[in-house]
Amino acid sequence: MDFSWTEEQQAFRKEVIRFAKQELNDDLIERDHEETFWAEGWKKCAQFGIQGLPVPVEYGGGGADILTTVCALEALGYSCRDNGLLFSINAHMWSSEIPLVSFGTAEQKKKYLPKLVNGDWIGVHAMTEPMSGSDAFSLKTRAERKGDKYVLNGSKTFITNAQLADMIIVFANLDPAKGAAGISAFIVDKGTPGFTISRKLHKMGLRTSPMAELAFVDCEVPVENLLGKEGAGQAIFTASMEWERICILASHLGVMQRLLETSASYATDRKQFGQPIGKFPAVATKIAEMDIRLEASRLLLYKAAWLKSQGKHPLREAAIAKVFASEACIKSALDAIQVHGGYGYMTEFQLERELRDAVSGTIYSGTSEVQKMIIAGLHGL
Amino acid sequence: MTQQVQSTKEQIREFVREAAQRKGVTDVTDTLSLVQSGVIDSLGIFRLVSFLEENCKVRIADEEIVGENFETIDDIERFVTTKLSK
Repeated sequence: MDFSWTEEQQAFRKEVIRFAKQELNDDLIERDHEETFWAEGWKKCAQFGIQGLPVPVEYGGGGADILTTVCALEALGYSCRDNGLLFSINAHMWSSEIPLVSFGTAEQKKKYLPKLVNGDWIGVHAMTEPMSGSDAFSLKTRAERKGDKYVLNGSKTFITNAQLADMIIVFANLDPAKGAAGISAFIVDKGTPGFTISRKLHKMGLRTSPMAELAFVDCEVPVENLLGKEGAGQAIFTASMEWERICILASHLGVMQRLLETSASYATDRKQFGQPIGKFPAVATKIAEMDIRLEASRLLLYKAAWLKSQGKHPLREAAIAKVFASEACIKSALDAIQVHGGYGYMTEFQLERELRDAVSGTIYSGTSEVQKMIIAGLHGL
Repeated sequence: MTQQVQSTKEQIREFVREAAQRKGVTDVTDTLSLVQSGVIDSLGIFRLVSFLEENCKVRIADEEIVGENFETIDDIERFVTTKLSK
């Protein structure tokens, strides 16, 4: 059992932190308030190599293993306060790039991956519908084969990056009689007739990450835009969720580290009753608990990532890590606010935003309740 | 070899029978569509994959978790024995 990063990984981590601190923290309070996506930040991350980390070198990616990717995303979460930007990048990587890497044809990979990696294009994944959230495979969007095309009809909601999409992986059922086995995935290019962004959605947190509803009305896509085989939608979705559940919370680890350091520093500097507030057990305990949560979250997430790197399917470990790290991040954000007192509640201290951003972690990629269903299901329940 | 195939199939049958019992499906044959009958759902497929990796000593890639390999007990057995023979 070896818990250490390699020298190369440590050096890369330092480089990510240097890059992000220097380049990625401009005007965040305003952008959060205005719900503005930062295209320049997206491009900077792509140029640095973030979006391409898990993509093979032949398509312009970094060809990094999952542990190195987790290491980089944790460093990014630590040093970039724009959690919305990082969420958009994660959605793009795990639910657009990875399905293409795993299931795409040589032509599809060649057409899409280099542009998704270099920041020119933004990829989107459209699964959730108004009536199918946690029960994702009960989706109603239909696909019908007509000659050399598939025709899509239906609507999608809670679609991250929807307004920015250059390509969308849309899940639709080709054969509802087969249930989930009829679900297939189709690549819809920007500007395809019959596809529209129907409504922008406003959120509690992650406000710099755009979200919208999508509508497909007699939207025709060529047969070569089928991703994987007919009926492979369930496998594609589940595989991408497995990656996402392991990796998307890596940036949460960085956030928790930042919250811990900020709070410990404040508790040392801030004096009341003639001494640093950190000398009071009620405050010191909060700092200790923030550290305990961070360490436990790290171990759970690293283990899930390590198992994936060994070619396993860490469904249980990913679910446990997802529940624990997402809930830990909320608790630590609340503790950070409490340690900072009235200042913590003020927007300018940027802790209330951390809390708003953290709440979504227990919802996206399967709610905490769904993760617990997965864990219980593995025990035969 | 025959014994190993039978053993693999029996293990798969046992796993599927237990999953079917939990879903209230009693009439499980080797050709029953496991997804359409509701025996294997989105979570169940990964339980099955973990089971096969653990008990049959095969490594299953993401792109192999598709209907044609997991539709029926026969399909699963064919998929596993093909992998074992490679």
